Amino acid sequence: MTPATPKPETITRKQSIIQPEPDTGKPLVFNTKGLNLYYGKTHALKDIHLPIAENEVTAIIGPSGCGKSTYLKALNRMVEMVESVKITGEVLYRDSNIFDRSFKVEELRTRVGMVFQKPNPFPKTIFDNVAYGPRIHGIRDKKTLKQIVEKSLRGAAIWDEVKDRLDENAYSLSGGQQQRICIARCLAIEPDVILMDEPTSALDPKSTMKVEELVQDLKEKYSIVIVTHNMQQAARISDKTAFFLNGEVVEYDATDTIFSNPSDKRTEDYISGRFG
Amino acid sequence: MTVRGTFATSLMELKTEVMLLGSMVRHSLRETVEAFETGDYSRLEEMIELDQTVNELEQEINEGATLLIARQQPVASDLRKIIVMLKISSDLERVGDLAVDMSKAAKRITPSEVLEEHKSALLELAAKADYMMKEVLQAYKECNVLKAQQIAGLDDDVDRAYGDFVKSIFDTAVSKKEDIQQITQMAFISRYIERIADYATNIAEWIIYEVNGQRFDLN
Repeated sequence: MTPATPKPETITRKQSIIQPEPDTGKPLVFNTKGLNLYYGKTHALKDIHLPIAENEVTAIIGPSGCGKSTYLKALNRMVEMVESVKITGEVLYRDSNIFDRSFKVEELRTRVGMVFQKPNPFPKTIFDNVAYGPRIHGIRDKKTLKQIVEKSLRGAAIWDEVKDRLDENAYSLSGGQQQRICIARCLAIEPDVILMDEPTSALDPKSTMKVEELVQDLKEKYSIVIVTHNMQQAARISDKTAFFLNGEVVEYDATDTIFSNPSDKRTEDYISGRFG
Repeated sequence: MTVRGTFATSLMELKTEVMLLGSMVRHSLRETVEAFETGDYSRLEEMIELDQTVNELEQEINEGATLLIARQQPVASDLRKIIVMLKISSDLERVGDLAVDMSKAAKRITPSEVLEEHKSALLELAAKADYMMKEVLQAYKECNVLKAQQIAGLDDDVDRAYGDFVKSIFDTAVSKKEDIQQITQMAFISRYIERIADYATNIAEWIIYEVNGQRFDLN
């Protein structure tokens, strides 16, 4: 499918009052500028301005239908799989607009991995699940593949649990383990950014804690964007938080600020559980 | 009613307890000052007993706040409200202790010329601190930032009056050995009063933090 050509000059809507600027001085992996997204006539994302800094965890919170998952799927252009989608504005990945015709979507998806709400391993062995991406990228050497699989499984904090059963089907693992296999699968292609769409909502508390700890470790090497319904999770693991409401970014700030003294009353009401 | 009506009710109930603690401490302070003024120390034992109740109530507030944090996981202004309750109740408990210290010191003072000479200045100082406590509790009740700031401004007044008082009592011509004991006890009392005013200022700072999320040093 051909992506909609960005026409930032056609945006007539006034710019958001909040124009978030990164305050860490860290380089940005993504910078979203005036992103508008329509599903048919539904205006799902409205003039989004949002920086995503390197080696940080950015949490996206907001009630159901606020556009947070749509935004996440825009970052790796998965959102274009929906027929009626129309996009204006820019999403810069390492300073290049991902919606430019010259931008290769395959390249983007290699650099930007994704972990979904429900663990979705392939019906293959644990080894083959993790080796899947590298094989697609042409790596055939068994020794190299073994190294990549071990490194990725270690990176996803699941190596010790599965090292003796790499030939077993990934479905034989528990939900929490399956999710970490999916994270390992994502790490195997050595991405730059990991997008996580409610990665723990189907997991029990112990598995959730493991994934949360893992996210903390992963940010040393990767930049992470996580959509979560669990506000305490956002508070626990993220450096920055963006609050989405009705397709807009109501507030974006350091997580410390959002959860201790947010500027916007709607943010305060949402995080305090007064609505949503 | 909001989604978290029960939580809002629990918060209100806890704040009511903090206000009650405030009333008890002020009562204790006023009784002490009155005993000193009239020289009738017959109710001082009651005061010391009241301090026990104050301590228990502070403990109860601590436990209530801990439970609310654990069970409701409050954030932002809800969390600040609870933190402030903990802080204010702790400050109030200290004021209660200072009131008891004042009564103990007051009991050691016997009618004398030295006492008569300085009594009114000491009572005036106590009235200023009591006024600050009264107003700051009202400001807390109303979440009134402006009032909180005004009260904090009064602390300088108390500090000055305290400085003047201490200077004047130590300048007193001492004719008897017992006078030294009287002067020392009065110096202690004035110091306790000055500390109470400091706590009132602390409470004012917490009110501002509760409302704005910013901590100012108003002392």
